[in-house]
Order: sequence, then structure tokens, then C-alpha cells
Amino acid sequence: MAEEKLLDFAREITGRLGGETITNCYQCGTCASTCPVARTTERYNPRQILRLALLGQRDEILKGDAIWLCASCYNCQERCPQKVEIADVIYALRNIAIQEGNTPAIYTDFATALISEGRLAPISKFLEKKRAEYGLPAIKPTGLEALKKILAATGFDKIVFKKEGATK
Amino acid sequence: MEEAKVGVFLSDCGGQIPKILDFEALTNFVKSVPGVALVARGSEFWRGQGLQTIVDAVKTKKINRVVVAETVPKISEVAISKAVERAGLNSHLVEVVDIKDHCAWPHRDMPKEATEKAKAMILAAIEKAKLMEPIDKAEFPSVKSVLVIGGGVAGMQAAEDLAEMGFQVYLVEKEPFLGGLAAKAVRFFPTDDCAICIQSPASLTAVTQTSRKCVYRSGLSEIPNLNILTNAKVVKVEGGPGNFKVTVERRPRYVDEKKCVACDLCTSVCPVESPDEYNARLSKRKAIYINKPLVYPPVYVIDAKACKFHACAKCVEVCPTKAINLDKKPEHLTLNVGSIIVATGFREYDPSVIKEYHYGEYPDVVTHLELARMLDAFGPTGGVPVRPSDGKPAKRVVFVQCVGSRDRRWNPYCSSICCMISLKHATMIKEAFPDTDLTICYIDIRATGREHEYYYEKAREMGVKFVKGRPSEIIHDPATNTLIVEVEDELLRRLLELEADLVVLATAMVPSEDAKELAQILGIELDQDGFFKEYNAKLRPTETKRRGIFICGGSVFPKDVPTASLHAHSAAVKAAKFLMNGKIVKDLRVAVVNQDYCGNCQFCPVTCPYGAITLEPKGEGHFAAKVSELLCEGCGVCVGTCPVGAIELRHLKPSQISAQIRALLAVNGTSKPLVLAFSCSECGHAAVDSSGMAMMSYPANVRVLRVPCTGIIQVHHILEAFKAGAQGVMVVGCKPDGCHYEVGSQKAKQKVEMAKMLLQAYGIEPERLEMFNLVFVEGDKFAEAAKAMTERVEKLGPLQFA
Repeated sequence: MAEEKLLDFAREITGRLGGETITNCYQCGTCASTCPVARTTERYNPRQILRLALLGQRDEILKGDAIWLCASCYNCQERCPQKVEIADVIYALRNIAIQEGNTPAIYTDFATALISEGRLAPISKFLEKKRAEYGLPAIKPTGLEALKKILAATGFDKIVFKKEGATK
Repeated sequence: MEEAKVGVFLSDCGGQIPKILDFEALTNFVKSVPGVALVARGSEFWRGQGLQTIVDAVKTKKINRVVVAETVPKISEVAISKAVERAGLNSHLVEVVDIKDHCAWPHRDMPKEATEKAKAMILAAIEKAKLMEPIDKAEFPSVKSVLVIGGGVAGMQAAEDLAEMGFQVYLVEKEPFLGGLAAKAVRFFPTDDCAICIQSPASLTAVTQTSRKCVYRSGLSEIPNLNILTNAKVVKVEGGPGNFKVTVERRPRYVDEKKCVACDLCTSVCPVESPDEYNARLSKRKAIYINKPLVYPPVYVIDAKACKFHACAKCVEVCPTKAINLDKKPEHLTLNVGSIIVATGFREYDPSVIKEYHYGEYPDVVTHLELARMLDAFGPTGGVPVRPSDGKPAKRVVFVQCVGSRDRRWNPYCSSICCMISLKHATMIKEAFPDTDLTICYIDIRATGREHEYYYEKAREMGVKFVKGRPSEIIHDPATNTLIVEVEDELLRRLLELEADLVVLATAMVPSEDAKELAQILGIELDQDGFFKEYNAKLRPTETKRRGIFICGGSVFPKDVPTASLHAHSAAVKAAKFLMNGKIVKDLRVAVVNQDYCGNCQFCPVTCPYGAITLEPKGEGHFAAKVSELLCEGCGVCVGTCPVGAIELRHLKPSQISAQIRALLAVNGTSKPLVLAFSCSECGHAAVDSSGMAMMSYPANVRVLRVPCTGIIQVHHILEAFKAGAQGVMVVGCKPDGCHYEVGSQKAKQKVEMAKMLLQAYGIEPERLEMFNLVFVEGDKFAEAAKAMTERVEKLGPLQFA
């Protein structure tokens, strides 16, 4: 039943941190017209993502690339007249997608860097040299061991690498 | 008190019931009950020959209490009470018990058990009847006079109705002129009538009569028993229904209403200019002014905030009739009225809080009321929509709907009339200036009234453009002095940047500024959005919980003119009905306080939903509660609240509740544990009725005790039921939001929670007690609940007292 599916997915989202307000949406389009990403590409339209989600189009959202294009500027959330926490809903959708193994490659790279170096972006020799030239202190090593423990305890590693099946 | 001689009338409901209940056994049982003087059998007792049987028994003085075992009390009780009264017995010495829908039908597959239950039910009715005392009627004098607060559409309509019916009417308006918000609207949808009719009260008579004559200086102002008090405000209300003492403060007009001939000489010499509120501050007016062109009263007024008074006084010198007196002081009038109608209307929301629309910052962003003033030929721009920034005609106009309404950040509700207002303005502009480019940005177009959809069609035919999408930002391009409206056309799924000379915000409609203060003065409630709250939105839409105070028009919710008129007529009828006899006659089915027991705790005055209880001095430093017989509705919520048992209902005394508990639980007759269900007389009892009417089956061990409202139930009643043999107790009341006495059902819930804790302390399982909130159509839920409670109690086993 299409109707059952609709409610199921909406309930799944409202049960998620950040996704609670999605059913407030009455499709006024304020989010779309204030969105800087929607202005540059037709691949992303927050109103349409909410609509698809409320109509239970699970696969189209979770397997597509649209939810990964949000720039998290929160313009939409600021202006939504129904107090839909749109940017947070997008995060909730991303979390579901990642848990199901639909992680874009760039996020896998971020996660690899985070686990191996404790940072999202690696520090290059060039960067270290430049800092010294400008008289900036050397970057301190991160508390990698503690971070690894936290990530392991939260199951982060297992979730983000689900597709590859790797654990480290 | 004379000895009770109870007459018991057993109806077989057309021969249906004896197929289930053993009537011989029932009759013999009733005959054996002490105090029963007569037992009669018939097929129905609430009309025809059956009713005559009761009347004859009362007339011959064989009996002085009447118990009828019949069908639904709601149907039969009134007829029987009236007949008994005509026969010379007090109408309150009657008890009706429903052995059909509460016993025979639901237990039709267990006739033996049903018969035993019927005995218990009739016994309970007899025991209650024996303790009944006559209840008198009381008369409260009322004044045939009404105060109407607010001189807009609704207030004027109500005032006219009542004045023409012969009531003395006071119409109090806070502004210097009548007309309210509608007067500024230029035209009314969907027929495009001219709003001048509203500006002068004259019109009311003119409009309601078939021929429309010139409206100036006629009509309302000529109804002799109508007093119009402009520039006035209600500051204090004392007394009660039928006899309110109202203090009205009247700000000075400084111009004598009788002397002023509206010659305009004063305005021509006045040196002070102020923004004109009537024209939404788009133009200026002098400190002495009159709203053009037709208003009531047709008399000038001085704006006290702007006038330089004696430092100038040029108007005083020039006035040919010596009508101006700059030394006038505010007056306080005391009015004695029987009833009050609130018609304070609504106002436009200030949209400057919505930062992305830049209202108040960009002059060419205006509200729809401001546009309305521009579209008035007598208005600040002579009927032309212009850009306030440079005064040039607006060639491109964009309307933005739902500004501050349907918005959880500001006002979550739909203001209901803004779609039609924008359609009206767009078609007016298109008709006068066909070249204007008009776009309405909307979320949903709500055109739900009669002919409203045709109006929407007309706008489309004329070339008004509609964009489904709510703009996110209005941008000002200083180079071209153009506004850019950013909006997604959802249907094209395309982002648009609409260029506009003028952007019109369809702002929310919110309650009038003084609604909160007035609600406090009158002691009536506001709803969550700040509008006046009616007693019951479906069936009593103009009444408030304070008897004698009525509400109508936009003060209740934003309304268009036809709806406000309807609402006002309805309020007028209610007020007239309330006062027409010159007295209020009431059965004293009310609460009474034993002042010697009253502990001065102040719970009951706070709890009473009708403000019927006050504390009066009783000796040194001591107060005692007193119930107003006029205001009390007899629900008993105060009885349930009193911690010392100092209050009781005349129509259901504590001894009567106890007697019924004992009687209902005296005989079991079933193999299942006894369950007592306290039910309110309203939705709760109706749910039990409907389960029986629909022949839904539940076990006969469930016995129902009817109280006016579950709010009367106290913890000790529940304990008493357990002590008298109940293994489980149900409380069946209205939905918490639908309680007929507002708070009763919620109070009962609290009481049930308290009792559960107490039961636990006694070592009794709290699951033996449960509250259910049901309505008539949930008879199936009652039957289910009765079954479930029985099963639950069976599982718990026999009740063990610690």
C-alpha cells in the first residue's frame, strides 16, 4: 500500500534526532527560494526532498545524491513558517542513508582521515612549512587514541564503512 | 420532612423487557422495599396513559416520590418532572432509571443476572428518592438593557437588533467614530459593495430595509433607545447577570456633539498636522478632524496628543456655533445593564517582525489595509495604487499571502479572510488600471464562502497571475528603486525573481489590542490565539461561561462582513432571550455551603468554572465560601474540591451518593466480581446509553451510578465503593477538552490518580480503579471497558483489605 509506505517513512524520520518536525511541512516553498544551493543547481531543492520523504519515496532520497548537496547554511530553517528544522531533517536523512551503506565516496575519505589521523583533512608537509614561515606554532598532534575509543564506542567506524565491510 | 411514600413505575417498554427480565420477581422485590407505597406496571410512563397513571397517583396523594424504571432518562425525565409538577408535587422528587439500555439490552443473554442487576438499580433509585427534598424556583430581577462593546459591523448590528426589539442599548466605541476595521475596506467581497454603508450606522437600517436611501444622518442614530458612546472604554464591571454595573470612561471630544455642524472652518485654521490613522498613516490630517466623507457621529474631534490647546485655540475662535471647549475633562458614566455583548473585532498584525519582508524599512512594502486606503477614491492617493517612496503609480504589484499567519513563529492559525481581500484588491486594480501587472504569491487560495470561488475565477479571467509559492525574501534595488520578490514557482519547480513597484503583504488578523484587558474586566476567557472564547463552539457559539455575557464578530475570530453580521444577530437573539422576561427564573439545583464547616481554604472559588463562589467575611479575620444561586450551574465540581465536605449539591446530597453505592452493590447475582462505574450525566452516561441501545453486550456485574459531572467525585466515594463490595471502580466522564462543566473531567482524573496512590498505601491494587473518557458514539468502547475491567479484576482475585 502506497499510503502505508508514506506513513512508515515519515514516522521513521520523525523518530530520528533532527527529523521530528518533518510532518509540519505544508509545501510553501520558502526553503527552496531562500536556498543558495538550489539557486545554482536543479539537482537540489529542499522542498522537493521533504515532499518525496512525506510521500514515502525512500529509495529515491537515500540512494540519490540530493541530500548530500545541502550546504548547511540554515537559511531554510530560519525562515520556515512551520518551524520545520529542514537542515536537521536533511542530516537525519543522511544518517539513515549512511546506516544503510549509501555513503558518498568523499565521506568515506573524511572518515578514513578522521580515524587514521584524528582530522578530517590531512596535514601536509607544505602546510607545516608555511606555518613555520608565518611564525605560527606547529599543529599539535590530536588525541588519536582517545578519539579512536570514542569512535569505536559509538560504532562510528562500523557504520561509515558499512559498504566496504572494513572496520579500520 | 414528611415521610417518603415512593411510587415505583415499572415500564416493560412495549413488552420487550419481560422477555429478558423476570418482571414478577422484580415487582415482588420492589413491593418488599421499605418506603414503597405503590408499584405499577405499564408499557411506557413518560407519555400518554402511563404518564396519566403517575399523575393520578400523585394527585390522590398516594405517593410523594416518583421512581420510574424506563428508557433513557434524558428522553423521559423532563416530561415526567413537568407532569408531576402539574399534579402538585415538586418536580425534583423524581428519579428515572434506565432498565432497558443499561440492563435488559446489554445483558439479554444472561436474564437471571440481568434481573438481579435491575433489582439493584431500582433499589438504588428508591433509596435516593427517599432522601430527596423539594427544590424551589428562584426569580432574579433583570434590567432590560444591554451594553454592546465595539462599534464595528458586529457591534452595530447587535445594537440595532436589540434597540429595535425595545431594549435600552449602550454602544461603546473606543475610537471617535463608528465603523471599525470594515469601514476602511473600501469595498466588500464578493459583491463589491461600497464600505460607506458601514461607516455610518444609518446604513444598517438602510441596508436591512429594501430600499437603500442616503445614509447620512439617519438610521441607527435615530433609534431613541440606542445610546452611542464614542471615544469611550469600559473600565470596570461589577454585579452579575441581569444586573451589571458598568463604568465607562469617556475621553473628551472637545467638540459638542449637539452644536457642531461639521462646517470644516476649524480644520482650515488648525496649524497642527498628524499622520492620519484612518488612512493607515499614508496621509496627514489636522489635530481637529473628521473622517471623510461619511461617518457617525458627524462631529469633529480633537486629537489630544497633537493639539496645542490654549497655546493655539484658533479653532475655538473660528467656530460659528461655539461648539469647541478645550477644557473638557474625561467623564465616567455608570450604566446598569442586564447583559453585555463583546464585539471588539480584530486588527492587522504588524508585519515588521518578519525581517525578511522588510516592512517598515522599504516604504513600498505595504499591508493590505494600507492598499485598501489607497484604493479609496476619498483616500490618500485618490484611488490610485502608488509607490509610497516616490508617489508614482504602481505598475507591477506583487501580493504576498499568509504574512504572519499560518506561521508557527508568529500566529499559527489561518486568518481566513486574507485570500479574499487580496483577490478583491487585485480585481479592483485590474478593473481601474488594466495595464497593471498583478501577481499573487500564495500557499493555498482559500475561497470557501458562497460565491467566493467565482470571485477567484474572475480574477484569473482578468489576468491576475498566481504563483504557488511563499516568498522567502523581498530585496530592494536602490539603483532602480525596484523591489525584487524571491519565490519558488512550485508548479514549475523554478526559482523566480519577481520585480515589483509595490509589494502588498496580506498580514495576519489578530485580536484587538485591549482584548486581554477586557477579558479580565469581564471575567471571560481568551483562546490560545488571544480571541474571546465561546462556551461551546458548535452549539453555543455566542455565549461565554459567564451567564449574560455574549461575544460576536471578529472578537471571536477574523470574519468577513456577512459572517460577522450573522454572528452579531445570533448574539442579539441570545441576549434578548436572556433578558426578555425582566427576570431570570431558575431551579435552585445548586451547591450550598455549610459556612460553619468552611475552612477558608479558597479552593472552591478558584475551581468553580462559573465564578459562582466568593468568599465573604464571617467574623474576625475569617471568611466563608458563598455560592451565588444565580451563577451556579449545579455541576458539583466544588463539592469534589472541598477538603472538609462543607459543600453539597441540593440535588445530590452525600447521603444520596452513599445510599446508591450501597444499593447498587447490595446484590450481586452474577458469578463475576462487582464493578461500580461512576458516570457523569453528560457524555459518560450517554456512552453507557448508546452501548445498550446498540445491544452491545457486557457483563451484568458492572453497575452505573450517575452524578451530574465526574468532577463531584471525591476519593472517599471511591473508597466507599470498595468498602461496600466493589472489586473494581470505573469513572466514566467526558473527554477532558469536552467536559460540559469545563474542568470537571480533569478534576476527576486527578482524584482518580490520588485514589490510586491511596489504594496502594492500603495494599490494594491500583489497577482496580480506572478513568475512561468517552462520548455518546463510543458505546462500543464502554462495553469493551466494562469487559476489560471485569477481566482485570477477576485476574487480581478477591479484594483483600489490609
